[in-house]
Amino acid sequence: MILKIEGMTMEFGGLRAIDNLSMEIAPGEIMGLIGPNGAGKSTAFNCIAGVYTPTSGRIFFQGENINGKKPWDLCKKGLGRTFQIVKPFASKTVLYNVTVGSFATCKRRSEAEDKALKVLKFLNLDDKKDLLAGNLTIADRKRLEVARALATEPQLLLLDEVMAGLRPSEVDEVVEMIRKIRESGVTILLIEHIMRAIMALSDRVVVIQFGKKIAEGTPDQVANDPNVIKAYLGDDYVVS
Amino acid sequence: MTRKTLERCAPLALLALALALPLAVQSATYMHILIVLLFYAYLTTSWNLVGGFAGVLPLGHSAFLGIGAYTSTILSLQYGISPWLGMIVGGVLAMIVGVLIGLPTFKMRGAYFALATIAFAEGFRVMVENIDKIGPFALNGPRGLQIPPLGFGLGKMLFADKEPYYYIILVMLVVVLMLTAFISRSKLGYYLNAGGEEPEAAMALGINVARAKLIAMAMSSFLTALAGTFYAQLNLYIHPKSVISLDLSFEIAFIALIGGRGSIAGPVLGAMLLRPVSDFSRIYFGDTLPGLHLIIFGVILILVMTFQPRGLQEPLTRLYHWVIDRLSSDRRTA
Repeated sequence: MILKIEGMTMEFGGLRAIDNLSMEIAPGEIMGLIGPNGAGKSTAFNCIAGVYTPTSGRIFFQGENINGKKPWDLCKKGLGRTFQIVKPFASKTVLYNVTVGSFATCKRRSEAEDKALKVLKFLNLDDKKDLLAGNLTIADRKRLEVARALATEPQLLLLDEVMAGLRPSEVDEVVEMIRKIRESGVTILLIEHIMRAIMALSDRVVVIQFGKKIAEGTPDQVANDPNVIKAYLGDDYVVS
Repeated sequence: MTRKTLERCAPLALLALALALPLAVQSATYMHILIVLLFYAYLTTSWNLVGGFAGVLPLGHSAFLGIGAYTSTILSLQYGISPWLGMIVGGVLAMIVGVLIGLPTFKMRGAYFALATIAFAEGFRVMVENIDKIGPFALNGPRGLQIPPLGFGLGKMLFADKEPYYYIILVMLVVVLMLTAFISRSKLGYYLNAGGEEPEAAMALGINVARAKLIAMAMSSFLTALAGTFYAQLNLYIHPKSVISLDLSFEIAFIALIGGRGSIAGPVLGAMLLRPVSDFSRIYFGDTLPGLHLIIFGVILILVMTFQPRGLQEPLTRLYHWVIDRLSSDRRTA
């Protein structure tokens, strides 16, 4: 298992955002993490990526307990992430943005820039390398977010709603991009609201609500799970 | 000439001009004005390592200047140690203090960091003003320290003419500019920029933002303290209000903001614009309207921030590239 979460709980004051969550991701897998708004998906991401230290429970990344490790240490260990609200270095070029990421594994600038160019090419963003990140469209900003994370050479990539706000044709492109990233050997944990994308991409899906896991399985199993339908649509829609 | 050779030669031509300038300037007053201009360009370039690249706004850098000035002066007055050596000692001391200030304050954002650094610098000034002696070291409180103009020479960093001072500060400025240019293209420069602009994203990309800022702070405070020694040797008299004053910290920030924070040329351009304003308003209005230069600074700052929020370096860099483009033989076709 590349990532193993055991009984993770995260409390903010009296609010329990994550409640005893356990899950596992196998290498090479695409795992979807879904749930209604406010279910705790992003909080779970932040716990895994080291932004928060969980109140209790343990997280193992490649067999190593990573509780309390800082985000920058985790990045160097091979855990990359993107942000739901994109955070480009807006006053810098696209190439500069991605080079910052590739410095995680390179010392020299020429080396880092070469790697950044390769990543940009891989994601079909190389024609925009000299544009300022702040001038990109939202679709390209999301793509840049992924490019930066990829440049750090992650083994596990956490993608937080990289398709939100995109047009259907753009969503299809991103789905293709994520497949390509997986084929290059990166394991992916994906938060997404666009069900079409989740269903098309995920090998397995975990559903959480109020911080608790309510279902887990293949996309089909999850889509037909009465608990999941209840969580999203309410009791009246469960066909019994 | 091709574009590339021109771009290489332009800074060298500027340097040659700066080296030859004392030949043309005869008056000691103007020489002094030029020296102070370079001194401020140096200070602001040093400040820029933290204040520009790391995206925070330190407003207490005069404390480091004071540490440098006092350390080398005390060492040379009481122990006869060459100011050149005292300069390094002061730099190391300032570096330690800079790191100690940075450790707790770099977690603060925006105005809170600026306020904390002001508080520190002011506290430090009041302390020095009220201390006559620390152990064997005489600080002389508000009376300050005087360097007797005896025994000129390079070893004592003491000269009868202005020219040597001019060349010393020019060399210091060139070195710190080269250092800045090197850093801005290195991993550290990328890390500082990234951490200054979007700290959370930077952390997720493997950057220990606080550590990068501390490294920048250490370098910046070290370099600032070196200028303190220079100041003391140039003016031969230091007192808390002259080397640890808030005015000085603010003026550095003014110059940086107007010239362009986070750019290499910005601090130099800012000093070239603001220092003459300051000096000539003092020469002409010093007796009738003292402090007028600060009002002019304020007006310029408002205008620049309104019309060129990234500083004067931006339009000037564009102009520079345009000129180079015109002059080069392999012109880019428009």
